[in-house]
Amino acid sequence: MDLSDFEADNSVSCRLSSSIPDVCKTEDCCLGIDEAGRGPVLGPMVYGICFCPVSRKEDLKNLKVADSKTLTEAERENLFLKIDEAKDFVGWALQILSPNTISTSMLQRAKYNLNALSHDAAIGLVQHALDCGVQLKEVFVDTVGPAEKYQEKLSQRFPGVEVTVRPKADSLFPIVSAASICAKVARDHAVKSWKFAEDLGEVDTDYGSGYPNDPKTKSWLLKHLDPVFGYPQFVRFSWSTAQTLMDSKAVAVHWDDDEEDGEKAAARQNNTSVLSYFNRSKPSELSHTRDTHRFFTERKLQSINTL
Amino acid sequence: MTTKKKRSVHNDKDSWVVIAPDSALDTGRSEEGDPSFIKLKSPATGSSSLYLFGCGDVSVYEVKAFSEDFRSWFIGQTVQRDGRLLYVTPIDPLFLLLPYISRTTTEGKFQPVEQMVMDEDYPGCTRLLLCKHGLDSLHHVADEKEVGGSKFHRYNQEKTLEWLEKKVQRTVSTLKKSNISVGGGVKSSTFVRVKQEDATEEDYLRYAHGLISEYISEDLSKDLLKHLQLPEISSPKETEPPFKKRKLSDKPVEAGEDYTKFNSADFTRKPPKKMTAAQKSLAKVDKSGMKCLSAFFSPKVKQEKN
Repeated sequence: MDLSDFEADNSVSCRLSSSIPDVCKTEDCCLGIDEAGRGPVLGPMVYGICFCPVSRKEDLKNLKVADSKTLTEAERENLFLKIDEAKDFVGWALQILSPNTISTSMLQRAKYNLNALSHDAAIGLVQHALDCGVQLKEVFVDTVGPAEKYQEKLSQRFPGVEVTVRPKADSLFPIVSAASICAKVARDHAVKSWKFAEDLGEVDTDYGSGYPNDPKTKSWLLKHLDPVFGYPQFVRFSWSTAQTLMDSKAVAVHWDDDEEDGEKAAARQNNTSVLSYFNRSKPSELSHTRDTHRFFTERKLQSINTL
Repeated sequence: MTTKKKRSVHNDKDSWVVIAPDSALDTGRSEEGDPSFIKLKSPATGSSSLYLFGCGDVSVYEVKAFSEDFRSWFIGQTVQRDGRLLYVTPIDPLFLLLPYISRTTTEGKFQPVEQMVMDEDYPGCTRLLLCKHGLDSLHHVADEKEVGGSKFHRYNQEKTLEWLEKKVQRTVSTLKKSNISVGGGVKSSTFVRVKQEDATEEDYLRYAHGLISEYISEDLSKDLLKHLQLPEISSPKETEPPFKKRKLSDKPVEAGEDYTKFNSADFTRKPPKKMTAAQKSLAKVDKSGMKCLSAFFSPKVKQEKN
C-alpha cells in the first residue's frame, strides 16, 4: 500500500483511494464501512470503505475476506493485495485521521468528540464514493456508539440509500470485512513506518501495539515525555493515558478555557470572594487606592515595582 | 523602537521581554554608565514603581507591563513562564519631581532644588536632577529666583495647573489623532465605533484628565478638574445600598394564596388503601386496653391523668 500521500504530511487528515471500477458506475452497488485504530493512544485512526456491485457479492466472498481481527498481519496483507487486484469490480477508499487531527479536534475549545469525528469520516467517505459516480444502493456499517441513532443519522444524510448499522458488521458482511482489511492494513503501515516530524534524534520504535494497556506502549510513553512539549505528534494527547502522564510528569500548563472550580480560579486571579461584598466594612487597603484609568486597564497595562 | 531580550538559562527572574526606545538603550558613551532600572515614588499613588534611567541619567522612562492571564514566552530555545511584555516609554521628569516640589508649598520659601528633592525611602530620586529636561522646565510649576549665580525655587499651584491644562489639551489632540474611544458607553478598547462623532469634547477632556491623573496626586487631580471647569461626577461605585431592608408596610405578612384547602376534610377523604396481609392480621388484633402510640407524645394525656 502506498502511503506516501499521508507521509508527506502526517499531521493532517489524508484520503487515499483506488480507481473506481466502471461497473460500479452503472450497476447498483453495496458499500461497507469499518475503522481501524480507534482505541490506541499512538498513531492514526483509519476509516475504510469498500464497494462492489450487488451482483458481485459472491465473487467477493470467494476472495475469502474475513474479519480483520481473526487474521494475521501477513494474511491481511495478502487479502488486501487480492482486493486491490480485483480492480474490475471492487473499489476502496481510506481516510487516515492523524493522531494530531484527533488530538486537536478533541481538545479544541468547541469539543469535537471521537464519535462525531468517526461519523464525519464515514460520511465523508460515502460522499466521496457518491461524488465519484458509484451507484450506491446499500451501505453496511460497523457501529460507533448506539447503532439505531447512527443508522438514522446516516439514512437522513443519504436518502435513497439503504443503511444497515450493526455491531460486528465486519464478521457479518463480506463488504465490511473487506473495508476493515483495507483500514487495518493502512493503519499497520502508517504506524510501522511513522516518520516523526519532531527532531527526536534516535527514536525507540519499539512502542508495542499502541494500546494504552500494552506495557511496551506505556514504557515508551514514559520514556518520550518532554516536560515542556509533552509528546511527539504521534501520540494522541486527548487520550487519558497521555494526559495522566503529562499531569504527573510534565510542567503544568494553564489554558484560558481550563475548568477550574470557582474558589481556585478566584484565588489565582486574585479576585475578591463574593462573601466580601456582604461585609459592611471595606478592607482598609481597598478604600484609599484610586482605580487605574481605563486606558490602562483596557489595555492590560500595569505599573510594576519589581522585575 | 527595538526589542531587547535579555536571557539567562539559569534564572527565570533574570529575563524579560522589553520594548524600549533606542534612546533608552543608547550605550555609546561608555563612561556614563549603562541604563538602569530603579524604584521611585509613584507621583499618583506614592507607592514604589519601577522606572528606567537612560544612559548617563539624561532621561527617565516609565515601565509598564502588559500582563494577561495564561501567557508565556518561547524565547529561542527556552520557555519563559512570565508572559509579560514590558514597555519602556519616556516620561516627563517634572511629573516625578512635582511631589517633592509641591511638598514645600507650606514653607513658602525659595529653596535650591537639591534641597527639595530628597527622599530617604527613594534615594534614587536625586538622579532626577540630572535629567536635563526636568530641570529646564521647573519654571512651569515653580517661581524662580536667581541669587549669586545659583537658582532658588518655590512651588506655584497656579502655574502647575496651567501646565497640567496644557498637558490635558495635548493629550486630547493625541487621543483624537489615535482614534481612541473615549465615550462613556465604550468599555472595551477592542470595540471599534463606526461613528466617532458621538464622543463630545467633554468626553475627551475627562478622558485626558483621567490619563494625566495617573501621574499626579489625588488632590492635584481634583484641583485640575476644577481648573478645567469639569463638574465632578460621583462614581456609581461609591453609592452603596441602604444598610437596612426597607419596610414596605407595618401590616403583618400574609400568604398570598390559600394552601389550607389541601388539609381540609375533602382532601383527606381518600378511598381506603388496600392493606397487606400483615397489616390485615394486625388490624384484627384485640386492641382493648392499649394506648395509641401518639398518646405518649400528647400533652392532653397528662391532663387526663391528673
